[in-house]
Amino acid sequence: MRHFASRPSHRERKENQRTLSLYESMILFDNAVVREDWKKAKSVIVDAVAKHGGTVTTSRRWDERRLAYPIKNKNRATFVLCYLDIPGASLPGLRREFELSERVLRYLLLRVDEIPATEHELTTAEEAEGFSVPPPPADDIVEPETPESNQETVEDILAEGEMDDRPRGRRTERASAEVTS
Amino acid sequence: MSRDRRAPLPPIAGRNCDDAWPDYKELENLKRFLNGSAQIYSRKRTGFCSQCQRALKQAVKRARHIGLLPFVG
Repeated sequence: MRHFASRPSHRERKENQRTLSLYESMILFDNAVVREDWKKAKSVIVDAVAKHGGTVTTSRRWDERRLAYPIKNKNRATFVLCYLDIPGASLPGLRREFELSERVLRYLLLRVDEIPATEHELTTAEEAEGFSVPPPPADDIVEPETPESNQETVEDILAEGEMDDRPRGRRTERASAEVTS
Repeated sequence: MSRDRRAPLPPIAGRNCDDAWPDYKELENLKRFLNGSAQIYSRKRTGFCSQCQRALKQAVKRARHIGLLPFVG
């Protein structure tokens, strides 16, 4: 029964909902927003967390890279890694905020015990005045398929019709033989 | 039993799970435990204990969710 013994009690869970807990969050930003203004993009996170009674401890640009599969018709995204303190009870609201936002392509929220030691340094390095975000490459939008490639020409359709006229299998052969006899 | 049966491949991780704890952000580390189609190797191949294998599974699934790894390779 070790599994059940380690679970927090109802009272503990209620208490945890009210107190601030540390969460790690990886947020995928649309590159168009990053091109527009980097600080504005970051403020999306800070504002959303503050609205739900939390604070962002550290946040930094983790990377800008090509996605393994298109998300919201985007091939590339800017990844922002942040650590935030927020009460557990306001998480559903925060999740909803991220899901409704058009700037956020996708997000991941995880409960963690502590912030890695390097995070504070990297965040302060990014907040320094000399820091500038390298501009993301232009090929981040998935190009829609051209309608021409999908359209069947009249000749194709006619060619298919000719193919269908040919007798197929024994049954059709037998039927045609009966008709002739 | 045929005599020319191939010997099993050695486990990828260290013997006693002294490998780093799998994290979704460390892609190069995760890719060691995936085949060409981005499928997770079995415990027999990775050499992980059940807890580490479960952590690997969780890390790969998180990486897939945020588009770092493909669902189908």
